[in-house]
Amino acid sequence: MRNKDKINSPETIKQHFETLGYICSDAIATSVYLACHLQKPILVEGPPGVGKTELAKKASELLSAPLIRMQCYEGLDEAKALYEWKYGKQLLYTQLLKDQLGDVMRGAKGLDESVSRLHQFGDIFYSDEFLEPRPLLQALRSEDGAVLLIDEIDKADQEFEAFLLELLSDFQISIPELGTVKAKSKPIVFLTSNNTRELGDALKRRCLHLYIPFPSKVIEQKIITAQVPELNDELKQQLVAFIGELREMALKKVPAVSETIDWARALLLLNVENLDHEWIKTTLNLLLKFQDDIEAVEPEIDNLLKAATKEG
Amino acid sequence: MQKVLGDFIHALRHAGLPISSAETLDALKAAQLVGIDNAPLLKHSLGMTLTKRLEHRLTYEQTFDQYFTSHNQFKEGYQEAPLQNATEGLEKHAQTEVDSLKQAPLNKPETNLNSPLAQQLMNNDMSAIQVMMTSAATASGAQDISFITQVPMVTYRVMQALGDTELQQELVALANSDESSATVQLLRQRRSQLQQQVRDYVEQQYLIFNQNEPNKLRESNLQKVNLTSIDHRNYKLMGELVRKAAKRLASMHSRRRRITKRGLLDVRRTIAANAAYDGFLFHTKWKSTRVDRPKVMVVCDVSGSVSEVARFLLLFLYCLQDVLPKVRSFVFSSDMAEVTQLFEQRDMDQALAEVMQKWANLPSDYGKALTDFEQIALADIDNRTTVIMLGDARNNNEDGNISVWEEVYRRSQRVIWLNPEGEFSWDSADSIMSKYAPFCSHVETCNSLQDLNRILGSVLKRAN
Repeated sequence: MRNKDKINSPETIKQHFETLGYICSDAIATSVYLACHLQKPILVEGPPGVGKTELAKKASELLSAPLIRMQCYEGLDEAKALYEWKYGKQLLYTQLLKDQLGDVMRGAKGLDESVSRLHQFGDIFYSDEFLEPRPLLQALRSEDGAVLLIDEIDKADQEFEAFLLELLSDFQISIPELGTVKAKSKPIVFLTSNNTRELGDALKRRCLHLYIPFPSKVIEQKIITAQVPELNDELKQQLVAFIGELREMALKKVPAVSETIDWARALLLLNVENLDHEWIKTTLNLLLKFQDDIEAVEPEIDNLLKAATKEG
Repeated sequence: MQKVLGDFIHALRHAGLPISSAETLDALKAAQLVGIDNAPLLKHSLGMTLTKRLEHRLTYEQTFDQYFTSHNQFKEGYQEAPLQNATEGLEKHAQTEVDSLKQAPLNKPETNLNSPLAQQLMNNDMSAIQVMMTSAATASGAQDISFITQVPMVTYRVMQALGDTELQQELVALANSDESSATVQLLRQRRSQLQQQVRDYVEQQYLIFNQNEPNKLRESNLQKVNLTSIDHRNYKLMGELVRKAAKRLASMHSRRRRITKRGLLDVRRTIAANAAYDGFLFHTKWKSTRVDRPKVMVVCDVSGSVSEVARFLLLFLYCLQDVLPKVRSFVFSSDMAEVTQLFEQRDMDQALAEVMQKWANLPSDYGKALTDFEQIALADIDNRTTVIMLGDARNNNEDGNISVWEEVYRRSQRVIWLNPEGEFSWDSADSIMSKYAPFCSHVETCNSLQDLNRILGSVLKRAN
């Protein structure tokens, strides 16, 4: 593993993440530390928008390793995830080589000899030349290690989940025509899930489990400082406290960290000095993505603001 | 370290966490990697390897705190590297004990003491006593206590194993010779301190290993008990169990569910199909998988005669709809109503309360209900639909409208009738079970959670 000094303790990882603009908790730093040293995949769960995917991106920056990302969806199969044969190229070559066939067969006596001559060329069509590697195979073949992000694994089907087991435990995959492909350098694997479906125990057993909740107020303020450094401290405190109050409400979709950042940027752009009813009302659509939620929050703005300033 | 971690994992398993051997190995590796100096780091690391579900995290954290603040084995085994924060409480506790003993008047014994425990107490050999106490407690079954009331008995056993009988005898003999002797006073004081320490230890062992045992026992009993005889006290727990059952069934179901795929080029079939055109590909053939998503319709009788079990059937219905992709739910006493949307929109308590208030506890009329069902849902039933009826078929001597049920059966071929009454009372009084039974592929008594699990498990198996 390169950059050994960057990952020699969770504390160091945390500091390096901070320099990359990713403020993280001890648990997150520990998970990356364990994943690097124990060579185990990490299953990252948590509500949308808390930085699950971002964690993988930053880990790839930290380790200076390429990020190979695979987005999961219903119907994803191994052909799209692992490899595919270049059918078009195979067919084209068959047509082009048709004329050569006569030369190959020339002088062959009897059927046996012809077939054995053909056999000498038979496997060419199922060789690397005609193989189209997809993300998983790319990650396994990566010379200097890579960060493999299998995003939203809960959206994929259970068959696909089962197919991943070999990769997650042994970092190898069996391709019928080529045999077993083993990782040249084991990739660091992140799997993310929003828990839309319960994942299998077999998959969970192979992974470290990291749950990222909404960040604490202190961490969220640090995140805003890192992302929107120009924002004044008082507004930052009010903003984080207000978002905290919103997350307590029973909304269809509570605002995530990414929305907090968007809001902070918007307020900065609008030259807002202090949060007040009007500003919140006009910018509420940046935080809430459902009309029902906006309608539910609007009458409560004053109370929320009062509670937020009290805390702040 | 292995022993300490092994015991810790044992405690977690007792608390209901499913931890596999592979995870145990991972935990050991993680503990070796991060060391044991930093308790929060150890807690995070073990947490990531041992708990894979959010709902288990709290139990894990509680057990970790309990175990590593109370477990003195850890301190003894790793004196050179004590857990700073986690064992702080323990160290303080042990230190106060030792201090208090040191402060006691420590006159050299005037007489020679015979019993080993008395000698150890007088020599203030606390670490040796603690080692003995730990092994005696394990031998006396401190880790197997099921109820808190067993603590005094196990404490007594541990004291006996430590040699309390001889100590007592010696104390009596010493007191007879000189009641006010400093040795007797000191020995008595230290004995009572030891007793308290043993009691604390045994209690901690109970808390770590077995405090969930009574709940487990209650859960397994509730699985078997007749739904009509469950009292209100157990409703909440029952709700949890029903939810678990529904979830398990749903995951079984979804495993067999096929998904739709556009498919890949099927080279073999493509070549075969184009053989006639000299290898030019006029027709491409694609692999595709069968799309198969069975639908489930559940009809639940909530009339007066089944009022005792209706709540549970509804609970099950709600949970099933929550976890299975295509369930339509219906309830009736005489008029039938579809409650699929209601279940989707409201949370469990609200939805059940609304159903009970609007439709429940009226006289049942299967005939009228089936007429309604014919209009609402009959057209949507096909051979991929499973229809489940939860009801006692008690029809107040009215016409049962059997023809509709026959039509349901003809269309679906998978019709399950779950009757909360025992088979012996079918067809008694106003029950017309035998009239519906020929048009069901499966008729069963279902009056406990275990029954529900078993029957629907096999139903879902066959439904795919």
